Amino acid sequence: MRDAHTNIIPAEERLIDRVYWLINLRWIAIAGVVSTVYIASEILHIPLEVFPLYGVVFFLIVNAVLLRWVIVYFQDRKFFKKMKTLMSFQLFLDLFYLAALIHFSGGIENPFYFYFIFHIIIAGILLSRRATYLIATYASAIFLIVVFCEQCGFLTHHCLKGVFSAPLSGNFLYLMGASFVFMSTLYITAYLTTSISIQLTEREQSLKVANKLLKEKDRVKSEYVLRVTHDIKEDLAAIHSCIEPVQKGITGALNERQTDLLRRARVRSKQLVVFVDALLEITRLKLTEKIEMKYFSVNELVQEIQEMFAVSAQEKQISFEVCADPDIPSMKGVRVYVHEAILNLLNNSLKYTPEKGKIVWEIRNHQNVLFVKISDTGIGIPREDLPRIFEEFYRAGNAKEREKKGTGLGLSITKAIAEMHHGKVWVESELGKGTSVYLEFPSGA
Amino acid sequence: MAKILIIDDDSDIVEAMRVVLENKGYGVVSAENGKDGLIKASLEKPELIILDVMMPGIDGFEVARELKKNVVVKNIPILMLTAVKKKTGFDFKAEAGDPDWLPVDDYCDKPLDYEVLLERVAVLISRSKL
Repeated sequence: MRDAHTNIIPAEERLIDRVYWLINLRWIAIAGVVSTVYIASEILHIPLEVFPLYGVVFFLIVNAVLLRWVIVYFQDRKFFKKMKTLMSFQLFLDLFYLAALIHFSGGIENPFYFYFIFHIIIAGILLSRRATYLIATYASAIFLIVVFCEQCGFLTHHCLKGVFSAPLSGNFLYLMGASFVFMSTLYITAYLTTSISIQLTEREQSLKVANKLLKEKDRVKSEYVLRVTHDIKEDLAAIHSCIEPVQKGITGALNERQTDLLRRARVRSKQLVVFVDALLEITRLKLTEKIEMKYFSVNELVQEIQEMFAVSAQEKQISFEVCADPDIPSMKGVRVYVHEAILNLLNNSLKYTPEKGKIVWEIRNHQNVLFVKISDTGIGIPREDLPRIFEEFYRAGNAKEREKKGTGLGLSITKAIAEMHHGKVWVESELGKGTSVYLEFPSGA
Repeated sequence: MAKILIIDDDSDIVEAMRVVLENKGYGVVSAENGKDGLIKASLEKPELIILDVMMPGIDGFEVARELKKNVVVKNIPILMLTAVKKKTGFDFKAEAGDPDWLPVDDYCDKPLDYEVLLERVAVLISRSKL
């Protein structure tokens, strides 16, 4: 069915969404680094190597700008695979920046080194399990290298003087312990994040498969209905064609009883024809996937429907008023269907509005949306029936009472037509007072 | 009185139409498929052909095109019986007279409304006699 589409976002789009989310996070991270450095050095008076730290921030900013530019450039070309590579590369760079920041602000003495975990989580969300472990390994390695190079004197250790009574970097046991806890945290995080991520992906896949299967089943059902209905219609047409000449006395004079029974048979077969036609129509609409839309004049359509409907309204002594915006632009769609959608609603109003009632038809054009409102002073729709009236075969309780005939398909057809044009239809009603039905079509469909 | 050829695979509908048309004094011959219809059209030279769309074998569209290719029968008006007009959104009336696409002169919806059928039959026959 048309409205069975679910909101499963394809993996490509989701990745791009997350990449943008990541870009925005970068700016927050940069602001965080700058303010932390500022607060630590200026307010808490921790002796920091401010200059190299701001240097790293500068590189971060340049990188963020470049990344955005590269992603916009790639996204247009739908380089999905390259996007993944790009993100892995970016994560490697980010870990390097973080290592540099840590190095210039105390190394192992700076507890911010646990921020490495964020990168592992991001990798777990964006990338494969293998890539995530790779990044975890790289993060551990770069951290260990920094710490041990500082320990061995290959790199200068920028001691956080005044924070610790004795520099932690000299304490070999502490270094070993901290490194072990740090590394295991990274790997456990990698494992947990990817597990959840993989589970989610799998579930999404099975949902996708189930959804596809459901749609396929619905299509098979519709095709079956179409075939059966079509066969019924053929027989019905023959029955109808055969009864009529007899009933009209063409084959010879009939007595009153005979004529009456044949008339009844014909009325019932006619009723069935109407129902079968409606069923064929809704089924065809549901099976239609692509349909050729053309621009047509709304003004002409309105006039045509108005002329046609005015006659029916007059016959039932119902006043019919049309309020149309002047010069409504052409609309892109299938003319016969739009015609039918509107006429269905008008006929409904006519059917359920008592004599001397009033039907008002408004047609407005607002910002390329064609807006149709049909209000009547009819019997209204009971509140409990309102949510279901667009369902196939559903008829409101008072409608059935008043009018035995009715397919219960008119509103479903109108809804299907509205959806085919990317429009919508809805109803407001007060029992005993009247009903207003609204239709909206985007002019460009 | 004018002779009408009905080409329709549904014999029940053919018989019903025969009753109605004969009652109005028309002569009726029938063919139950397109191939048979094409032969009978040349043999009987009717004044009007009533043609069904959905038929096994050659469908009504094809039959209409074949008829218009044949010099002997191409001037016989064709009245097409169809249940598809409204559903497909084809406007047959606009297409009628477009000899490349659908060379029919008029159409009637199925199930038949005999009053409409008789009216269109009368118009087409009188027009062709002009």
